[in-house]
Amino acid sequence: MQYLLQLLISGLAIGAIYGLIAMGFAVIYKSTGLVNFAQGEMTMITAYIAWTISTTVSGNVFVVAVGAILAAVVLGLVIERLVMRPMLGEPVFATVMVTIGLAVILRSAINFIWDAYPHGLELGMGRGIVHLGGIGVRTGQLAVIATLLLLLVAIWAFFRYSKVGVAMRAVAADDRTALLMGISATRVHALAWAASSVIAGIGGVFFALSYDLSPAMFQLGLKAFPATILGGLDAVLGSGLGGLLIGITENLAGGYLGSGMKEVAGFAMIIVVLMVRPFGIFGERDIERV
Amino acid sequence: MRTGDYKQSYGELVALIDSPPVWLWSAVLLLALIAAPYLLNSYALSFLMIILITVTGALGLNILTGYTGLISLGHVGFLVTGAYAYAVLVSKYHMPPLVGFLGAGIVPALASLIVGAPSLRLKGLYLAITTLAFSFIINTVILEMRWLTNGARGIQVQRPEILGISFDSDAAFTYLCLAIAALTLFATLNIRRSRVGRAFVAIRDNDTAARVMGINLHAYKLFAFVTSAFITGIAGALYGIYLSFVSVEGFPFLLSIEALAILIVGGLGSALGAVLGTVLIVLLPEATRLVFSLFSAQMDATFTTGAQELKSMLYGLVIILFLRFQPRGLLGAWHDIKRAWVHWPLRY
Repeated sequence: MQYLLQLLISGLAIGAIYGLIAMGFAVIYKSTGLVNFAQGEMTMITAYIAWTISTTVSGNVFVVAVGAILAAVVLGLVIERLVMRPMLGEPVFATVMVTIGLAVILRSAINFIWDAYPHGLELGMGRGIVHLGGIGVRTGQLAVIATLLLLLVAIWAFFRYSKVGVAMRAVAADDRTALLMGISATRVHALAWAASSVIAGIGGVFFALSYDLSPAMFQLGLKAFPATILGGLDAVLGSGLGGLLIGITENLAGGYLGSGMKEVAGFAMIIVVLMVRPFGIFGERDIERV
Repeated sequence: MRTGDYKQSYGELVALIDSPPVWLWSAVLLLALIAAPYLLNSYALSFLMIILITVTGALGLNILTGYTGLISLGHVGFLVTGAYAYAVLVSKYHMPPLVGFLGAGIVPALASLIVGAPSLRLKGLYLAITTLAFSFIINTVILEMRWLTNGARGIQVQRPEILGISFDSDAAFTYLCLAIAALTLFATLNIRRSRVGRAFVAIRDNDTAARVMGINLHAYKLFAFVTSAFITGIAGALYGIYLSFVSVEGFPFLLSIEALAILIVGGLGSALGAVLGTVLIVLLPEATRLVFSLFSAQMDATFTTGAQELKSMLYGLVIILFLRFQPRGLLGAWHDIKRAWVHWPLRY
């Protein structure tokens, strides 16, 4: 029982990180209709920048947090402007391939700029242990779960009530009609890339806080794929919850079936889910007109 | 001089070789390839081998992604399955290499049925991600089946001896690769101009319309998966023999992306494009190194220390630039040049 609870809690914690990155995927998909294969790499860059700030400027939590968020915004905007905007109006396949090319470039750039050794992000917090009913939990793990839940509520409210959120949903539903209504599609796209970069970047920084920074971190993006597919590519909230589900499944599979299963439990799960619901658990069925 | 295409029947339109100059140049290319192992040094020969093996794999992916329009991000999964099938059959159970090659085709083809079947309900990106999931799952399966695959330790593979001919030397092995690559090229070109190929292209262009015209989507999509996996598996076996060692690390995920890059750079949906793309992508890092070393010894040193990073950065950059400025790939560029040459100074 103790073991099971331990697995569940650490599953929730890693699942919350997957959930944050998966929400990053979903925000971009929802407003531009693209899967951003460079999401894991963007997450990684934000985490590495946070580490650089913490070692060179100041280890203060707030300085690092503000710096990392600003860096993530700039990263998202620059990528949208330089790489994605010229591809507006091109076929989806071509645009998605561009993000794959971008992923390859960013990954090598990280190895080139920073080194290939693992680093720990030390902020003087997040690694302390709290006892909850006899189970030791890191404060960082609790913080990331809380952050995910908070962001889920905030994003739900944003898409439901704010003018910009409604504009983003309009562009996603039908960009031509949205344009006719006076919504600037390019501005919505830029906003989506910046928001996605920030949300995923938060996940990346939390990952660095609980585990370590290393060049293999881009695999977080691949791990978050099952989460966003499970929730439905166009469901931002579903993706966040999908992350929690994948995290728990992965940890249970790793704990009871062996470490090899841990790596692929998420992928095996999405193949099963997609066979039953080809558009994810919370996704909307695509109706095709001929 | 040739001033345009004057085709009067469907047979002429789909003919593989439609004019004497094309005959001539194809013959010259074939002779050059046959003479190459005797003329090139071993360094250049290794590039030729890699090109021939990669062409085979790229043609395999071309059937699935180029002709049928089903994007696969997990083709390295078929590559590694083929390599392991060959290695297990030949090195572990001492079967003749021909049986090994047959197994290297059939095992991935069977695996493709497993990944293809659920993929029939999926479209576009969801399918791409399913194939991605497949390639990760297959790696774990190989690592877990230690009794068959030696797990992470990998399997040693010898150069084969087929029908009494030893392919031990580099030159002989190049001929083996050349023969298989040429056979694959003819096979894919002929698939494209047959009823099956037309069905593939119809599915790619609009699958609903294809279905309305009476094309059995399930059968043809599965057929595309099986054919593609068969060819890719054989390329995997060749690559395993080339490396003389088969392990999961020898087939990184980047190979899947490299294969897609080859198709895009060459020109999606054309066998000739796959060949051109392979030549460019395989030689690109080497060509860049040459250019760098021309500038200064110092830049050459940077290239050696960060070689792997710069190489993958180049892939990414080339993919993005081609998609942005020449979406029809090298083949499209070649068509443009040809038209400009014929019509100059008029535009058309």
